[in-house]
Amino acid sequence: MALDVQAAPVLDPEKVGSNRLVRSYSRARRSGAPAWWLQRVTGLALVVLTVGHYILMHYNPVSGHDYGETASRLASPWFKGIYLGFITIGMYHGLQGIWNIVRDYKLKPAVGLTIFGIIVVAGIIFVGVGWNTILTFDPTKP
Amino acid sequence: MTLEIIPEKGHAPATLPLPNFVNGATWISPLMSYTPNREPFSAWNKLILAYRRYSGSWAYILHRLTGIGLVVYLFIHIWALSSLTRGRAAFMQEMQTFTSPPWKVAEWLLGALVMFHAFNGIRIAIVDLGSGARYHKKLLAAVWVVGVAVVVGMFFLIFSTELFAK
Repeated sequence: MALDVQAAPVLDPEKVGSNRLVRSYSRARRSGAPAWWLQRVTGLALVVLTVGHYILMHYNPVSGHDYGETASRLASPWFKGIYLGFITIGMYHGLQGIWNIVRDYKLKPAVGLTIFGIIVVAGIIFVGVGWNTILTFDPTKP
Repeated sequence: MTLEIIPEKGHAPATLPLPNFVNGATWISPLMSYTPNREPFSAWNKLILAYRRYSGSWAYILHRLTGIGLVVYLFIHIWALSSLTRGRAAFMQEMQTFTSPPWKVAEWLLGALVMFHAFNGIRIAIVDLGSGARYHKKLLAAVWVVGVAVVVGMFFLIFSTELFAK
C-alpha cells in the first residue's frame, strides 16, 4: 500500500503543559471508558427518542407545526418530563461526540482547553434555554 | 514450502488479476479498482485510497458528518422553539417560515441524517457491546435498507398535503 504510516511522536509530558488541568484535557491521560459507555447508553436511548420524535412531529403535515397540537402535548407532565430528559441527554451525547472528534486531532493544550470550555458553556446555556421553553410554556399567552 | 496469501472475504487481494494499465494507472476515481504500489497524487486521493476499500470506513466518516450536522441542527432547533415562550402569535409566525416548501424539503433531508446516525449507532453498539464485529457488514447493509425505507416513507407523510391534495 502506498500510504505512509508515521509513528506518533513521543512527547515529554512536562513540556506539553505545566498545568495538570490543561494536560488532562489536552491529551489522553485518562481512560475515557465511562464516557465511552455513557455514549453508547445515551445513544441507544436517543435512537428511540429521536426517531420517535421525528416521526411524531412529521406523521402528518401539522403535527409538529401547529400551536394547538404543541400546547396539548405540553399539557402532559409525562411529555414534559420525557422532553426535559431528551434535551439533556441529546445535548450531552452530541457535545460528547464533538469533543470526541476534537480529541482525535493533536491540539495545543490551551486550544484544547478553550474548545472544551466553549463546548461545556454552550451545552449548559442551550440545555437551559430548552428547559426554560418547556417549563415556562404558558398556553394562554396570546 | 510455499506461503499462500488468501485474502479475507470482502477484502482486496494482495494483487489483482488485472492488466497493468488498470493496476498501475495514475488517475484515481472511487469507481476504479484497487491500485497497489502507486503513489497517490493528492490528499483526497489518499483519503479515497484509504477509505474506499472498506464500507465500515465510509460508515465511520458518515457517522461523524451526520453527527456534526445533527448537533448544529440541535442548537438551531432549541433556539428556534424558544419562541413558544413568547406566545401563540410568535410561534405561528415562525412556523409560517418552517412550513414553506424549501424548509419542508430540508426537514425531510434532516430525517435522512437522523435515520443514518440512529441505525448506524445501533450497529456500533452491537459491534462494541455484542458480537457484531463478526457480521458488521451485514448490519451496515441492514442500516441502508431500513434507513432508505424509513426516509422514503417519511417523504409521503411530510408531503402528504402536496401529494394527495383533492
